[in-house]
Amino acid sequence: MCFQATVSDLQEAIHARTKKYYPSRQRLTLPMQAGTQGKPIVLSPNKKLVDYCDGNVKNLTVVFKDLGVQVLYSTLFFWEYLGPLVIFPIFYYFSVYKYLGYEGDRVVYPVQTYAMYCWCLHYFKRIMETFFVHRFSHATSPLSNVFRNCAYYWTFGAYIAYYVNHPLYTPVSDLQMKIGFGFGLICQVSNFYCHILLRNLRSPAGNGGYQIPHGFLFNIVTCANYTTEIYQWLGFNIATQTIAGYVFLVVAALIMTNWALAKHRRLKKLFDGKEGRPRYPRRWVILPPFI
Amino acid sequence: MRHLKHINLLGGSSASPKPHECKRTGHPSFPPELLLCKPSDLTSLLQFLLATPPLGTMAGFLSALRRIYLSLYNWTVFVGWFQVLYFAVKALREGGPTTVYDSVERPLQLAQTAAVMEILHGLVGLVRSPVSATLPQIGSRLFLTWGILWSYPETRTHVLVSSLVISWSITEIIRYSFFGMKEALGFAPSWLLWLRYSTFLILYPTGITSEVGLIYIALPYIKASEKYCIRMPNKWNFSFDYYYASILALAIYVPGIPHMYQYMLGQRKKALSKSKTA
Repeated sequence: MCFQATVSDLQEAIHARTKKYYPSRQRLTLPMQAGTQGKPIVLSPNKKLVDYCDGNVKNLTVVFKDLGVQVLYSTLFFWEYLGPLVIFPIFYYFSVYKYLGYEGDRVVYPVQTYAMYCWCLHYFKRIMETFFVHRFSHATSPLSNVFRNCAYYWTFGAYIAYYVNHPLYTPVSDLQMKIGFGFGLICQVSNFYCHILLRNLRSPAGNGGYQIPHGFLFNIVTCANYTTEIYQWLGFNIATQTIAGYVFLVVAALIMTNWALAKHRRLKKLFDGKEGRPRYPRRWVILPPFI
Repeated sequence: MRHLKHINLLGGSSASPKPHECKRTGHPSFPPELLLCKPSDLTSLLQFLLATPPLGTMAGFLSALRRIYLSLYNWTVFVGWFQVLYFAVKALREGGPTTVYDSVERPLQLAQTAAVMEILHGLVGLVRSPVSATLPQIGSRLFLTWGILWSYPETRTHVLVSSLVISWSITEIIRYSFFGMKEALGFAPSWLLWLRYSTFLILYPTGITSEVGLIYIALPYIKASEKYCIRMPNKWNFSFDYYYASILALAIYVPGIPHMYQYMLGQRKKALSKSKTA
């Protein structure tokens, strides 16, 4: 191979040899020195192979790992969001509860109708953002994540939909409903704006990479997108008041907090103020004033 | 990044870790990595602090305290389970399987409920066991002990109670004496290690069969009773049906059993090969 060959070229060559291993399934790393600790250096597809040879340009040893069957992130997100989008209206429109032992007609309260619209808007927005807004740092995700994530979203979707649309549902006061949905809507719009800002941090060339987020709430919180998402669900729950909804809120908040801590850590490590790199400013991680 | 109160790290000995300075104020502070740590990292934090001379002696004291506490804990619970096994065998010989529960009820409830402490131990970093492994185990045990046997007396005379109680008590006697010895004496004899990682091969199947069997037997009684059920309508739009929750618990055993068994087989391989090379 010539000196200008990139890691991506190497991946294509491996793929040409073994059809099964398409590039997104390969993880190429430099061999770890025996006895050293820490993570191995992963070869980045758009860098040149010579960048990884320290001096010895004749030979380069790489370690190959098969990541398993991969799907596009957009595929993963589409399927996990489609479930809730479809399931909630099923509980709202169809007489599901007759099969669960609740005979008789249902009285549908306004809050239940607004909840259905709010919920479906949320997941429709997520699907649209997946295809038109987000720029992913990795193109693919393992296939097993499809099953895991769909189980999570679809189960919670059914769990919440069951209670919000229940024939014996007890609505909250009109004022509380308005406050809840109003606040939730503001947060949904803010969340959308956060996603636009994040998108503009990355170049359309699609090579991922990290920048210091800035603008709007990002000036005070690293993961303002997660913040607005959590508060949006809080608004939904204030309006609909189900234990199921609050359980989902807590679980989702925990998961996002985990991600946010990792991202915050990563950004602080990357932007350490040395060698001309900017220093990552002091910011909340995800939920001021707690963390 | 929040700053914790800075501690003046005295002594210039090379043995103590280099103090980290806050870039903004210049005050000594903790390395930022330690501020975003899991609870089990608190022990590492403590070790970092206690590596310094004045706190070093306190480190020895705290470590000894930990050992004393854990020894007391493990041996106390050991005695509880020993009682369970003793009374169970005694009842079997004297009155037969239907009398076993009544003889073991108190020590069983005490010993099994005390195990909740182990979740706490894992959370604060006193022991190294992952909470994710202990939680499902303790969950199923408490479910059987309180949620089935104590709540539904109709199940207490079934023969599966005997197999359950005997499987659990033998397993726990071995486990607690193993940990008790390690904490008190610093080591455990190899035969005890072998027992700990081998008896599960039989006791897991017998124990789990008893658990699943007893839950299944209790189902009609659970369905007939309104115990632990929350019905709609209510202000929080919540419901809980103990009958369906129990069926869900049974369903979880299906993937749960091979997962736990494989995990223990892996642990066995690790533990027994390590003792060979040691």
